[in-house]
Amino acid sequence: MFRYRISWSQLAWLGHRLSGIGVLVYLFMHIVENATLAFGPGVYDTTQTFFRNLPVRLGEIVLMAALVYHSLNGLRVIVMDFWPATTAWYRPVTYAVIIGTIVAMIPLGLIMITPYAPWNGR
Amino acid sequence: MAIGRKIWPVQGDPLRRNPSRAAKPRPAEPGFERWMWYFTRISGLLLVLLAMGHMGIMHVLVQLTGQQINFAFVLERWGNPFWRGYDLLLLVLALLHGVNGARIIIGDYVERGGLRSLLVGILLALTFVWLLLGIFVILTFNPDGAPAIGPFS
Repeated sequence: MFRYRISWSQLAWLGHRLSGIGVLVYLFMHIVENATLAFGPGVYDTTQTFFRNLPVRLGEIVLMAALVYHSLNGLRVIVMDFWPATTAWYRPVTYAVIIGTIVAMIPLGLIMITPYAPWNGR
Repeated sequence: MAIGRKIWPVQGDPLRRNPSRAAKPRPAEPGFERWMWYFTRISGLLLVLLAMGHMGIMHVLVQLTGQQINFAFVLERWGNPFWRGYDLLLLVLALLHGVNGARIIIGDYVERGGLRSLLVGILLALTFVWLLLGIFVILTFNPDGAPAIGPFS
C-alpha cells in the first residue's frame, strides 16, 4: 500500500478534480436554496436562518478553499496549455499554487470564521 | 524533494502531449470536443473573476461590513440590473463549465457504451432542469418586493 508514492503533480491534478466536483455539487444545492426566493421574504429568510451555524460556515470555508485552489490551478493550466514553454516551471508553479491557496485561506478563513470565533465573545 | 517522477522534459508527440497535465490535451481533431476544450479555458478565465468576485462580496465583504444575507439584501442587489446580469452570467458559465468537467470525468472512468451514455444523459437532464430553475429564479425575482409565486406569498 505504501510502496506507491503519489507525486505533487498527481496531487495537483486530483485536487483540481475533487475541488471541481465539490463546487459543482454545491452549485446544484445553491440553485435549490436560492429558488426559495420565489416564495417570498418569509420563506427565504426562514430558510437562511437554518444556514447560520458553525457547520455550514465551516463548509463555506472549504468551498472558498476549493474555489481559490481551482482558480489558481486553472490559471496555471490555461497558461501552460497556451504557452507550452512555461511547463519548464511546472514544479515551482505547482508548489506556488498550493502554497498560494494556503496563504490566501489564512485571512479569508479568519474573516469567515469571525462570527463563531472565541475572540468574538462566544 | 525526492518524491514523484521526472516530469520535464515532456515526452512524446508534441501535438498530443499535455503540457498542463491537469486536464486533457487539446483534442487533435476539430469538432465538439475541441470546442469544449476551448470553452472550458475561456469560461474558466471569466469564472475566476466572476466567482471570486461573487465569493468576495457574499462571504468576505458582507462579513466585514457586518451585514446579513436576507430577502432585503437580495432585493437591493437584484434591483440593480448589473448584479442580476452578473449573477445570470455566473450561473450559466459555472453550470456549463462544471457539468462539462463532470462529463469528462465520467468519460475517464466509464467505458464508452450504454452505461456512459446513461450517466451523461442523467447529468445533462439534471443540468437542463437546474439551469432553467436558476434562470427562472433570477429573471422572475420581483424588485417591488412582492413574492412572485407560491403558497406562502
